[in-house]
Amino acid sequence: MVKMSLDPVQVMSGKVKELKVSPSSNGDARGSWEEKEEFEQNQLSSKPKPVTGRRARKVEGAVFFPKPENAVTIAVSSRVLFRTEREQKVFEQKGVEEYLRYQIEHENEPFAPGPAFPFVKALETVNTRLRELYPQSEQLFDIVLVTYNHAHVGIRLINTINHHNLFIERFCMTGGSSPIGYLKAWHTNLYLSADAEKVREALAEGIAAATMFMPEKLTEVSESQLRVAFDGDAVLFSDESERIFKAHGLDKFFEHERENEDTLLDHGPLKGFLEALGKLQKKFYAKGQRLDCPIRTYLVTARSAASSGIRALKTLRAWGLEIDEALFLAGAPKGPMLEKIRPHIYFDDQMFHVEGAAEMGTIAAHVPYGVAQKCNTNQKTNMGK
Amino acid sequence: MVSTVQNSDVRQKDVDHAVVVAVTSRALFESDTEEDGDGAYAAGVAFPLLQALQRVNEQLLQRNPAESLLFDVVLMTTDSQQQQSSRFMSSTRHHGLEVTRFCFSSEEDFIESLLKNNIQLFLTTDENEVLQATQKGVPSVLLDEHSAVCSSEQLRVLFCENAIIRPSSDPTPASRQAAQSFSSQLGKMRQKFGMFDSPLCFTLVTLRGGKDSCCGALKALRSIGVSVDEAYCLAGAPRSPILSLLRPHFLLSDGFSNLDD
Repeated sequence: MVKMSLDPVQVMSGKVKELKVSPSSNGDARGSWEEKEEFEQNQLSSKPKPVTGRRARKVEGAVFFPKPENAVTIAVSSRVLFRTEREQKVFEQKGVEEYLRYQIEHENEPFAPGPAFPFVKALETVNTRLRELYPQSEQLFDIVLVTYNHAHVGIRLINTINHHNLFIERFCMTGGSSPIGYLKAWHTNLYLSADAEKVREALAEGIAAATMFMPEKLTEVSESQLRVAFDGDAVLFSDESERIFKAHGLDKFFEHERENEDTLLDHGPLKGFLEALGKLQKKFYAKGQRLDCPIRTYLVTARSAASSGIRALKTLRAWGLEIDEALFLAGAPKGPMLEKIRPHIYFDDQMFHVEGAAEMGTIAAHVPYGVAQKCNTNQKTNMGK
Repeated sequence: MVSTVQNSDVRQKDVDHAVVVAVTSRALFESDTEEDGDGAYAAGVAFPLLQALQRVNEQLLQRNPAESLLFDVVLMTTDSQQQQSSRFMSSTRHHGLEVTRFCFSSEEDFIESLLKNNIQLFLTTDENEVLQATQKGVPSVLLDEHSAVCSSEQLRVLFCENAIIRPSSDPTPASRQAAQSFSSQLGKMRQKFGMFDSPLCFTLVTLRGGKDSCCGALKALRSIGVSVDEAYCLAGAPRSPILSLLRPHFLLSDGFSNLDD
């Protein structure tokens, strides 16, 4: 950490010009400040940190702050990481000034964990294991708190992060402006928010994103293994098959899948995230830890194994993606299966399934992508934003 | 030789309560080009910044017509030829700029002019002038072509740790004090607006330290009366993608807590 000195107003100089011209990396050797930054970053990773009680995460010599483009960046909004329903009510009923006053008043009261909390904890567990095996690698999960809260809430958020012993050192509080630009700047691999609009914006920009809801009851999830479950169509894959099903019915859907069995499905918004998980999994396999891998992925699809499921599997294989368990439900409800799996997060494009999962205590996230959205606009969900 | 001429087109500010900002003629105007062929200079790189300052004033006066905490903008020039002087004045009027005074001095006397006019923020395109002014305890900002593309609707001020800029000189206690009191003044101005649609926006960026550095900075700024709107804690991530989105008009680095590693 750098000592910040009391200096007078400084100049917006040609240094800023350099900042804007070379946006992509630290590698550009233009200007002394960039070299200085690289030098100091190296210092950061090679300098041994003392291991103290609570901060025992600081492994000697390990990478602490990975470069966003090397890490798997997960951007989480404050409203899904923590429970902020009470504060939301203040905002909705009394306006923003009162909301901020309330937040400042309660600055030392930490928020309770929200739906994304177990997921983030699990990411940290994976990081710990990765650091043990590859102390110099920057291929880690990097969690960034991205919220369009005003910075007035910042101190309460930081206090909360400390209270729960979370390892989140990076954040963007945009004070009301859209966070989308910042998501891109952080090379975000996955964005989780309570706001469907922002999630849609992110998806439109090619960033994997999903809306999270607080389930009424929370089933316990593993503390040693990250489990991520995906729906197939319109999540990992495009929504082309769903379009056929919605327009022409089940028979046509089966016919179409049979005829196109050897044609790859197009990719969906979360394919990239599955890919990123796969890359990290391979790092454990390389060290002989396949059976003990702290990341496990699931496909939970309404397709059936004997028929339409084949196309899905062939597509995954062609993409070079492994999925640990593929569950073909042939139209059966997903809730009970998910209850057995207990994923830290389950991605589905249909609110119907998201709600069904949540009713059984699964943490489900809605991916507002594809043809299912138009059909579901009438469905009101009272699960909050 | 230092002299001051008032701009009769513009209401004079209460200098005891206003935040006096000086801008050089070279920053404000493009002296090489003419506009509209009627002898007025074209807009220079400082234009958007000045327009943003003006907008803050407009909004402050809208809320309170008797407001005295306003930006008081003065034009400073060391180009003392008579013809140039009157062209600066007519160009100011041509563009409808809210400049209250014109301060003429020689190059040797311009620091004296800054001090005499109680300048709290000095805007220039000349690096030497920045160095000299800073050494005398006047908070100074070097403008360049990037300033020309900043917003003219909202004044965006970035609070950032010093590491971003090569320190050109050791800060004197006087300059630290001046920078802090300038920030406090801005903080007071900001309080007069609500959360949304404010013509003034404060952003904090911490470059290296983690959340605790950021928390410390938020608290330190709060203690001098500055409530930031946006905060970004980079913890070592590359700064340019974030900064290019923020587009601040200028950066301030002072009054942060010292968090040793």
